[in-house]
Amino acid sequence: MSVTQAAADDTPPPLLEARAITKRFPGVLALSEVSIMVRQGEIHALVGENGAGKSTLMKILSGVYAADSGEIIFKGQPTHFANTRQAQKAGIATIYQELNQVPQLSVTENIFLGSEIARGIALDWPAMHQQARALLARLHLDIDPRMPLHQLGVGHQQMVEVAKALHQRADLIIMDEPTSALATREIDYLFTIARQLRASGVSVIYISHHLDEIFGLCDRVTVLRDGRHIATSPVAELKIDRLIRLIVGRDLSEQLPKEQIERGREILRVEELNRGKTLRDISFSIHAGEVLGIAGLVGAGRTELARAIFGADPIDSGRIFVDGRQVSIRSPRDAIRHGIALLTEDRKQQGLFLQLPLRENITMAVLERLTPGPVTDRRKEIALTQHFIDRMAIKAPSQRQLVMNLSGGTQQKVVLGKWMATEPRVLIFDEPTRGIDVGAKVEIYKMINQLARQGIAIIMVSSELLEILGMSDRILVMWNGQVGGVLNRAEATEEKIMAYATGSDHQATPDNVSEGPPL
Amino acid sequence: MSEISSVEKRSRRSLGSLTSSFLRNTGPLWVFLVMFITLWILSPSFRTPTSILLIGLEAATIGIVAAGQTFVILTGGIDLSVEAMVSFSGVVAAILIAGTSIAGGQIAHGIPAWQAIVVALAAGTLIGVIQGGLITGLRMNPLIVTLGFRSMLLGISLVWTRGAGINIQKDRFLDVMTGFINVAGSKVPMPFLLALLIYGLAWFVLNQTKLGRYTYAIGGNETAARLSGIDVDRVKITIYGISGLLAAIGGVLVMGRLQSGAYQNGTNMTLISVAAVVIGGTALSGGIGGVWGTLIGVLIIRIVDAGLVYLSVPSNAKEIVIGAIIVIAVALDVWRRGEIPWLRLRRRAPEG
Repeated sequence: MSVTQAAADDTPPPLLEARAITKRFPGVLALSEVSIMVRQGEIHALVGENGAGKSTLMKILSGVYAADSGEIIFKGQPTHFANTRQAQKAGIATIYQELNQVPQLSVTENIFLGSEIARGIALDWPAMHQQARALLARLHLDIDPRMPLHQLGVGHQQMVEVAKALHQRADLIIMDEPTSALATREIDYLFTIARQLRASGVSVIYISHHLDEIFGLCDRVTVLRDGRHIATSPVAELKIDRLIRLIVGRDLSEQLPKEQIERGREILRVEELNRGKTLRDISFSIHAGEVLGIAGLVGAGRTELARAIFGADPIDSGRIFVDGRQVSIRSPRDAIRHGIALLTEDRKQQGLFLQLPLRENITMAVLERLTPGPVTDRRKEIALTQHFIDRMAIKAPSQRQLVMNLSGGTQQKVVLGKWMATEPRVLIFDEPTRGIDVGAKVEIYKMINQLARQGIAIIMVSSELLEILGMSDRILVMWNGQVGGVLNRAEATEEKIMAYATGSDHQATPDNVSEGPPL
Repeated sequence: MSEISSVEKRSRRSLGSLTSSFLRNTGPLWVFLVMFITLWILSPSFRTPTSILLIGLEAATIGIVAAGQTFVILTGGIDLSVEAMVSFSGVVAAILIAGTSIAGGQIAHGIPAWQAIVVALAAGTLIGVIQGGLITGLRMNPLIVTLGFRSMLLGISLVWTRGAGINIQKDRFLDVMTGFINVAGSKVPMPFLLALLIYGLAWFVLNQTKLGRYTYAIGGNETAARLSGIDVDRVKITIYGISGLLAAIGGVLVMGRLQSGAYQNGTNMTLISVAAVVIGGTALSGGIGGVWGTLIGVLIIRIVDAGLVYLSVPSNAKEIVIGAIIVIAVALDVWRRGEIPWLRLRRRAPEG
């Protein structure tokens, strides 16, 4: 396809136009008359906060959901996709954040999944392998297509997805947060491929939280906020702070109400923590009232660190001190006894008992304390639950209300209430604001401030740099299972964090030379 | 977008949860009453005290076994060894009571029934604990572990009885435990009272103690339970121990009534106990349900069983009806949780 070259001076024709797309889920307007136009052979960035409606829009374009109203025009034809297969057939391929692949199957099998070549009832393996090899060669990939997918690195797995999209002759490839799991080198490679696709006339919708990627790769950008279309603009005409304001809709300081809290004495100290290859020689300490942000790329070991401190995963070696006394933490039970609490990233899946009432959820981690004899002290339990309902401002008709019938925001508070009931000294938040909307985020930030003011030491694992920069007193950046570097609030910048997180700062230090970049 | 998904769930569930909780809480009881009354009207021979007594007696032993099964299923597990345990504990008790004789010569004398029963119950508990230990310690699938133990226990029962069954003489203790007593002028089978006592205790444990709370927590969300500091393994081991103990009690009662310890004593009890638990509204996936529902479930199965007899359905066809009831009960279990996609009871929540 040499359409772009031929019409080099003109604006390329639109490949996809979505007009006034509205999508309503019960109780929430996810998209309100959103329009987007993607030209042939352009890389079009789609940005917005969590809950802005990016994913919903993408799912409508790829046939997962049907829009309530609005129209989609693809290649000049009004289109309506009843399912993902129809969208794929029309030429829209989606590469999801969490890869939709079967790791046990070979590269070829993954590329041809659902569109296998057969001769009679038998699969034509030679033909498929050969086509797969050709597709991979187009991406300059030197991979044996017979290799099981799981033997490839995450970056290469993603390339296999791209190869699959090419195989389906996609004219539009939607990439949903493609770099979230990639190392720097792999990101560069992905960019090269994306530019190649653009040159051959394929369009890309590129969803990302990383604004530097938008500026480095994309031609135009569309900003969504709270389910509305805010702006579409050529990237070259935008500055980063202008883009941030468009995305957030308010000043950063307003969104991150960080309070200055006096630092108390040291509460937790971790020395030379090791766990296989995921955690290596990690040492740090945290004081009362302090918020320690833990930054790093996906796979750097942030969640693993949180789980190891909490005793959810066993450690190979290392010492943990609480209040200066060495403690042995072999299970969450030990951690809770020593005043450590962990709010997991997936609070619903790992923190709640949806089928149980509010009260049982709040008291689950402290039931021992409420059960002096064989029988649980009902009166004490009710009083304790009420205390945390009041303190967390939990909105529920009664303590007997099943947690599954509470709203998402209230469920968050229930999990936090459960951990506050254990009277923690150290609270670990793993991705405290993932998947919640802006308003609820600010609530969480205020809650974190309030907890810090009460003298609780807070460890905040987060992928969002703005959040890390805005909320932390100190920032520990993880890289490849190690401490990449520690930054004070005053000296921390996005660039410094990224430098530590990608290990580019490390190449010079002698003890890390042999490590090589992560894959 | 967790807000969206929960809002959607809330609106969808308000009606669904009302009907489902109504079903769960009272449905089985209505089914039982309707069946009971229907049979009462249709069959004159059913309207005798004896037949009612018989249903109570039959329900008692399987009921005790099903109470244990309820605990296990509430944690999200399953115990397929219960029928073998019923046979095994009966055989153990019978051997100890009857003594051992080889070629007509007595080589060991019997011991008093109560002592034999204590040994049988202890053995049942211990074997349950061992199963729980394997399931938690080696992260083995409960289905396979308990299926394996089912086979082993049946095998041992078969070997020890040489396939025949060991007959015993009842002593006073066994007589009282398996006989009838007068309650307010009417004869009530002792096993039925025992079963009620056990159900009361089981309810107490499930609702008033840590163990019970943890049982629901593990069945509802094992990961969250672990992360909440619950010693999940210990709770599960205890639960399998309880199931072993209750199955052993059931086994001793069957043996006492039949005055024989044989490897067939527990036949079909696993299937019936699981069916009773599910009919009673306990979710096979765990975390939801309770022990009173199971009792109703047992009574329903017994009523159906009796009904087939009183309505002169050939006994060979019994298995078909019982099997159908089980399949329907499991279908109900899935339906209650709204997980049948084509019925569109609950659309999948949007993500991201």
